[in-house]
Formats: sequence, C-alpha cells, structure tokens
Amino acid sequence: MQVIYQEGESLLHRLNPLSKVVAVVPVLLFVALTTDPWLPLAFTALASAVIVGPARISPGTFWRLQAPLTISLLVFLILYPFMVRAELFDHTPVVLRLGPLALYQGAVLAGMAAVLRVYAMFLLSLIFMLTTEISDFIRAMVQQWRFPYRLGYGILAAFHFMPLLQEEFRLIQAAHRIRGIETHGGVRVHIERLRRYLIPLLTSAIRRAERTALAMESRAFGALKQRSYFRRFRFSRADYLFILCFWLLCLLVIALFLLNGWMGPLSFTKEL
Amino acid sequence: MSETRTALIEIEDLTVKYPGRRVPALEHLQLQLRAGETALLLGPSGSGKSTLALTFNGLIPHSIGKLQSGHVRVTGLDTRQTTVATLAQRVGILFQDPEAQFVMFTVEDEIAFGLENLCFSPDEMERRISESLRLVGLTELRYRRVEQLSGGEKQRVALAALLALEPEILVFDEPTANLDPQGTREVFNLLRRCKETGRYTIVLIEHRLDELMDLVERMVVLGKRGEVIINGEPREVLRTHLSTLQELGVWVPQVARLAHALQHHGCSLEPFPLTLSEAVEALKGRRALSAGQQEPSAPTTSTAVHNDGHQRFSASPPTRSEPDQGEAAIEVCSLSYRAAGRQVLQDISLAIPRGALLALVGANGAGKTTLAQHLIGVLQPPRGRVRLLGRDITTISARELTRHVGYVFQNPEHQFITEAVEDEVAYGLRVMGLPATEVQERTRALLERFNLLSLARASPFTLSHGEKRRLSVATMLAMGQEILILDEPTFGQDEYSATALLELLWQLHDDYARYVPGSHLRPVCGRHESWQAALLRDASSPLRSRGAAGRGASDAAPAGSASAPAWLVRSAHPGGAM
Repeated sequence: MQVIYQEGESLLHRLNPLSKVVAVVPVLLFVALTTDPWLPLAFTALASAVIVGPARISPGTFWRLQAPLTISLLVFLILYPFMVRAELFDHTPVVLRLGPLALYQGAVLAGMAAVLRVYAMFLLSLIFMLTTEISDFIRAMVQQWRFPYRLGYGILAAFHFMPLLQEEFRLIQAAHRIRGIETHGGVRVHIERLRRYLIPLLTSAIRRAERTALAMESRAFGALKQRSYFRRFRFSRADYLFILCFWLLCLLVIALFLLNGWMGPLSFTKEL
Repeated sequence: MSETRTALIEIEDLTVKYPGRRVPALEHLQLQLRAGETALLLGPSGSGKSTLALTFNGLIPHSIGKLQSGHVRVTGLDTRQTTVATLAQRVGILFQDPEAQFVMFTVEDEIAFGLENLCFSPDEMERRISESLRLVGLTELRYRRVEQLSGGEKQRVALAALLALEPEILVFDEPTANLDPQGTREVFNLLRRCKETGRYTIVLIEHRLDELMDLVERMVVLGKRGEVIINGEPREVLRTHLSTLQELGVWVPQVARLAHALQHHGCSLEPFPLTLSEAVEALKGRRALSAGQQEPSAPTTSTAVHNDGHQRFSASPPTRSEPDQGEAAIEVCSLSYRAAGRQVLQDISLAIPRGALLALVGANGAGKTTLAQHLIGVLQPPRGRVRLLGRDITTISARELTRHVGYVFQNPEHQFITEAVEDEVAYGLRVMGLPATEVQERTRALLERFNLLSLARASPFTLSHGEKRRLSVATMLAMGQEILILDEPTFGQDEYSATALLELLWQLHDDYARYVPGSHLRPVCGRHESWQAALLRDASSPLRSRGAAGRGASDAAPAGSASAPAWLVRSAHPGGAM
C-alpha cells in the first residue's frame, strides 16, 4: 500500500515511526487551537522545510501531493469572505467593494486563518505520512505500545485487499453496464446501482478474507500468546534527539510570536 | 507392519462437517501416506480435496469445521490433541491464490511472519530466512516489495515462507491455478526441486500435471461424497480406472488418454505411459518391433520433445472452406492501446466474419482481455479503429451495443444483478420491452437448455462454479446477440463442467451465434470445423491470425511464444470429440 508514502533513505525515513507521531501530534493539536493566520503560516513554512529538507522529498513531488488540497483551500479562501455573515466583521475596514458586495478586512483574515490552520495541520501530518511505511507504523505500535497484535496484523493483511477490491469494483461496473443496467437517472437509480455492486463485491471480499485467514493460521498466526520479532522497533538516541529538536524548533517559533505580540488568542482563550 | 511404522499421515474413518452444511465434506475417509512419498490427490470440485489438506495441519478442527468421527495422525501426533503451532512446523500448505496468502509487504518480512508467530529468536530467523530464500532461488529479491513480484515469484515467496518453518509435509493446493504458463513452470520446477531434496512428503492437488506425472508415486481419488474411491500406484490407476476418472470429471494426463485410445484401436503401449517421453519411448519400441512391415505415414501433428522435459506442438490447420464473404462481424483496424505507460496492444488488425468462431490465445498480459474490452465499449477505441457489424463502434450507444454484443466476464458473479436465477435471465428480455408471457416463455426455454430449470428460484450466488458460468452465458444469450465474447470461460472449472460448457458452446455456435473465447485452456484447436485462432504476443501485435483475416495460415508454431503445450493435446480429448 503506497498511496502517499514515498520510499526513501532519509534521516526521517530511518526514524522510528512512533517518534514521528510523538513529535508531530502535540504541535498539530496546538495549531488546531490558533485563531490568527500568522502562526499557522509559520508552521506551514516549518513543515515544508522539514519535508524538503531532512525528509528529502523532492520539491516537485511535494508540490504534486499537496496541490489538490491547496487548490480546494484557495477556492474556499476566495469564497469565504462573501459567505460569512457580514455583521460579524462590519466593524472592520472595507478592503474592496464590488457593487453591493463589501469585502471586510476581518472576514479576509478569518478566512485566511481557517485555511492556513487546515493547511499547516495537513503539512505537519505529511511529515509523518510521506516518510512512514504503514506496516512499520503498525508493527511499531504492536511492539512498543501494546497494540493487540492480532488486530494489527489483521489490518496489515487488509491493506493487501484495497487495490484488489478497487479492481473488482471496476470490473463489476463494466459487467453491469454490459447487462444493460440503467446508467442515467436520479439518486434512487444511483443507490439501487450501488446496492447491486455490493453483493458481488462483498461475496468476493469475504471469500478472499477467508482464504487469507486460513493462510495466516496455517503459518501459526495467533497460535501462541506471544510472538517474537525479526525486526525490533525501539527508540534510539536519534529518535529522542529528533523529538527534542522538533519541539524546540516549534517552541522557538511560538516564543518569537509571543514576544513580538504577533500571536492572536488561542480558541479557548478567545472568549475571555 | 513396516507400512504402518513409516506412515507419516494416517487417517482413519474420518468424517468432517462444516457448520451450517447438512452433508459432510469428507465421509469415512481412510488414507495412509508414507514418509517421503509424493501423492496426487484428485477429485471433482467439491469433493473435499482442500478440506482434507486442512485436516493435515489441524486447522480442521482447531479453527474451522468439525471432526465428526475418526482421527488424523500426522508424524505420529493426533491432530485433535496437538496445537496448530506444533502442526504448522510439520505441515506447510501452499494455497491457490498468491495474493491472499500475504500479510506483510516485503519478501523478508513475509518469510519472517511465520517464524515470528512461533517465537523463534532473531538469529534463528535470519538463518532460516536466508536458507529458504536460497532454496527457492530468490535470494536477490529479499528486500523487494511483494506487489512488485510476478505471479510465479509470489508463489515461490509463499513457498519459501512455508519452507522456513521446516515442515516434513508439503501440500500444494492448486498453486498454479492463477498463474500464467511462465509462472506455472517456475512453480513446477520448484516442486521438482523440493522432491529432489528427499526431505519432504508431498501431497499435490492439481488439475494440469502432465509435466509432473513422473514425480507422482501414488494417486488418491476422492469421490463426490468425500470418500477415497481409488488409491494406488499411478500407472495401475490410470491403466485400469481411466473411465471411472473420466466419469467423475477429474483431470487425467493427456498421455494416458492417448494410450487408452491407442489400446482401443489395438495398439497397447508397454509399459503404460504416464509422461510424453515415456509414450515416445513406448511408441519407438513398437515401431522397432514392426520395423520393415510398413513405413508409417507422416503424422499430421508434429511433436518435439525438448531436453528440459516440456514439449512444443504444432498442429496443422484443419481443412475448411472459407467463411462466406461479406460484411465482417468484427473488424479491428490497427488498434493500439497504452495503459500505465505500457504498450498493451500494438497495431492490431483483425477481421472476423459473421458466423465465425475465434479463439484468442496468448500468455497472461498479452492483451487478450484488453482487446476484447475494446469490442464492447468497456475501453473506448479511437474513431475508425473498431467496426461492429459494419458500423464504427464509437457511433453505437452503450444501450444498443448490449443488444448486439454479449460478453461473459471471467468471474461470472460480477454480472449478476438480481436475486433469482430466472430473473437473471429475464432481466435482459424485460429491458428489451417484451411482453410478460414471452419473457416467461423464453426464460424457461433458456433455463431448460442450460440445465438450470431446477434452480430457477435459487440465488445466483449460491450456485456452483459451473452453474454460475452456465447462467452467465444464458443471460448473455437471452437477448439474442449476434456476437458473444467469452473471457476465459473454462477458468477454474473442473474437467466435467469445462467440457459441458464447451459442448454447449459448439451447439450454440452451430445454431446461430458467434463467439470469441479467450481462454487459458484453449480447447478449440483442431476440434471444430470453423475455428480460427489469433495468437497475441506479449504487448504487441498479433503473432499470427489464421483464417480470420483471410490470410494464408502459417503452420509453424511461433517460437518463443508462451503458449502452454498442455492445451493443444487437449484436442485429442475424446469427451469433446463426440
């Protein structure tokens, strides 16, 4: 399953998957609480720097992967000031007036804050997603965080299903079209059609799942309470160092904003 | 007495039942296999071959199913009293579907998976992983991701994962059913290697084993109710029980059929041949005996046996009159197609006259399905490339197309859209807007013809594989299309239902329709009056097409094509020549 994971040998690729989670998640939560556009903007820059820097993702690949979100966010950014209730911001100066439509500075800033917040959070999670193989992540969780191994390895096996099910879906669609199934129509026809896809899709998914389960059990999966590990996942010095450095860098940014008074209130302090 | 002492698998009076099923899967089964023996397990589909395999490693009864009576002893251990963990180190089963066996993402991790389950130390794992990779010859693929491997390589990795557990017994449960000829060859070579090490007792469940018959030391045949009906040395079994095997609808080596047919005509081969080279030897012997009497006439089928043990055949084309000229049913004009950066079809040109029967043959990935999908609008050809019944396909609406072309998919389940067999057939007729009484009449007639009438109210998904396939063909014929395309119509079917389906197709063809079967088991060659073949080369233009385009036929078997030899012999299939 390589939807977004980029194979590589960089510093970040070699880190323990969990250390990336530990490093990124608190920062992500903090960004979620910000209300001004500037701090998320700073984190956007920080995350981008990490992705093209130590994670060694080529800027082209990075651009391509984040482009769909950027485009939809830009559309949102343009529409937001016009959609939002005007009385919330009519105390702020008007930036632009288009006939009956007034563009208030406050609305523009609020739109930017919302968009940049989402964008910063997305980029921060990309640090993890682009450099972490899902099977490494799950195995590390099983080994270090006592995630139940039966569930974990079951999820891994399920990942092999995804591309197969996609292919299956495409085939069923074609097969039904050839039967002369109605291709146009309203929502009801559409739902009916999806219901018809579901039965063959489920039949084959269940059959496949049964086969996989038998193959796994034939190799003694779940036969013993414990299992050993060929590859051990543990935190090394590099992992601790990465977490520390990342946090320090983030704190530095926040401190810079606080000292200069650039930072707006956090969402839970805003009402006070 | 020595027999029982060295018996590695001992099964006594075994009856196995799955929950929710009324009939037991295996009934009062007796079987003993000796250490080091290679046994071939045969039986019609549904006779419980795979079930039997699962009793060896204790998944039955520990995970699924129930032992209603009897017991299974493997290497002296009663499976009922032994844990799956222990048995997994005695018995390894290689399953049919390579994709469904993988849990991890890289070759190394996949092999480690079983060892981790059994709590081996990392050092021991390292030793066993490199050892098993060496055995299957994939050492250099150790860090490769499994999805990047070919089908044959995947099965080799799956086998390596089993070998790492160092079992004494290996079960091969139709491991080549989903593989192309190249992958099949890889797996067969490996099987041969496993046999040569002398370390394993091997149980084979396979449909097409012509190339491996020399390895088989015992043949065990299961009956419809899951009991052992024949058990013996293969030469003896094939010599005396061939007709029983054929009645059951199980696979029989082509050579055995040939020997029986020859015997029927007063020419018995000694010793009874199991492999092609044995047959050649026996025939040579006979010729030496009758030397001087008569020069044999030149054979119409030339056979070459290569050193590596597999054969190539070239069949001379059946003599036939040219199909009536006139508008072609299907006309493809230098069609090319690229997908995912790969040239799938390159400059294909074909003309299939009305009333023709065309077999499209080629290795996996040669583009058979892709070409067929261009003929039904699943893939859109550019304008002017494909003409159906004289019209450019791009000008025909999807609705109208379904009225002219029927297409039977590889997996018949994909096409089922209703909850009852009769509705399935009636659906197309209703779409055509026929009056209810006529719909009913025609549905009945079709179901009768396809021997499905007794199942009219059943859900299509509950049918057996052969029945599903028949139903999918019936639904496609309901609308009376002029062109019928079947994608691997005999895939995954046992001998009996495959033959039955093909017989039905010949009949139908005689009646009215026109087919383009693309099939692994391409059993049409030389069989039918009006067959034509187009052979697709990997990702490229047709290597040759015969009759179809009115070009002169080239008799030489295309060198280097991946066509499996097994199928051509199939034309000698007596069941099909009725």
